[in-house]
Amino acid sequence: MDRPELLKTFQRMATEIAEKDFGHVTEEHVIADLGIDSLGMLELVGSMERELKIAVPDEQLVGIQTVRQLLDLVEKRTRASA
Amino acid sequence: MASDQFHEKLYKNFTTFFDKAEQERRWNPYRDVPWDRINPETPAFVATCAETFLGVESFLPDYIRKGLEVVRASSWAQRSFAANWGYEELKHSVALMEYLLRSGKRTQEQMFDFQAKLMTEEWRRPFDTARQMTIYGSFQEMATFVIYLRHEALAKQYNDDALAAVYRFNARDEIAHARFYEDIVKVYLEEDREGTLRDIAHVAKNFEMPGIGIVPDYDARIELMREHGHVDRDIFLQKVYFPVLKYLGVTRQELVEVARRERDERRASAAQ
Repeated sequence: MDRPELLKTFQRMATEIAEKDFGHVTEEHVIADLGIDSLGMLELVGSMERELKIAVPDEQLVGIQTVRQLLDLVEKRTRASA
Repeated sequence: MASDQFHEKLYKNFTTFFDKAEQERRWNPYRDVPWDRINPETPAFVATCAETFLGVESFLPDYIRKGLEVVRASSWAQRSFAANWGYEELKHSVALMEYLLRSGKRTQEQMFDFQAKLMTEEWRRPFDTARQMTIYGSFQEMATFVIYLRHEALAKQYNDDALAAVYRFNARDEIAHARFYEDIVKVYLEEDREGTLRDIAHVAKNFEMPGIGIVPDYDARIELMREHGHVDRDIFLQKVYFPVLKYLGVTRQELVEVARRERDERRASAAQ
């Protein structure tokens, strides 16, 4: 999955979980500014883990603030599990 | 209706907890804190942080009354725990107030005014069932434990041994309370894993610390506490959320799954 696809996956899952449109979200956005708190982010990560069949260790989720940081992490885990 | 095993397990948990509390954790806020080792040079903001803890702890009458409302019919163990919890929590506010008075950071008149102002507001119970409130207690007591420890370190940094001791005693009680709540949540999980997982997801999603909106100048006070106690959202995840889930034997994936099932059910029901 390339980076634009990964961003689309993020947008789709965030929309699904938060039940509002996140189609406009870019990698520069700060996740908390989107109204997604840290526990909401965990749900989002969990959904991405499920869809992409990856596992992100808990400790790597600490410090994630932007969409870019989250996608970097997911991309890294996707590559590791390939 | 809970099973006999549920009550038996809770009874055993409470007996173990209370026996240990009586044997190892009893302390006297007037006699066991080294009050002669207050540092008069401790900065004013450290006292403001202590006053904020006091503000949150001072809603004890609401916590007891509204907490007991949901557990009184649930089990003997939970209502007994609630009674003992109130006694132990009372000492936290007593010790904090003693610090503020004995250090000269506040006068009695200021303390009585502060208390009167606090009681113009009322704490609202955030969740409606004994199970949800027990889960809430697991997270909230663990978070309070972590924050007390951070501020104990801050008090030590300013060589205020008395305040450090107050925080240490309070923290020791908080972690004991957190463990009790967690052990009860484990029993709930054994009784009804799906329902308990749904409640954990619900509580986690809607979790707020007590004090929001009821302690005067809460936002500014919490900012000060976060800044100097080095407490932020990541600390909550690292030191509270993940450890509690680990202790309960619950994975993030399980919570994601129940949240998804619940969402699907809600949509299906709305579509009918």
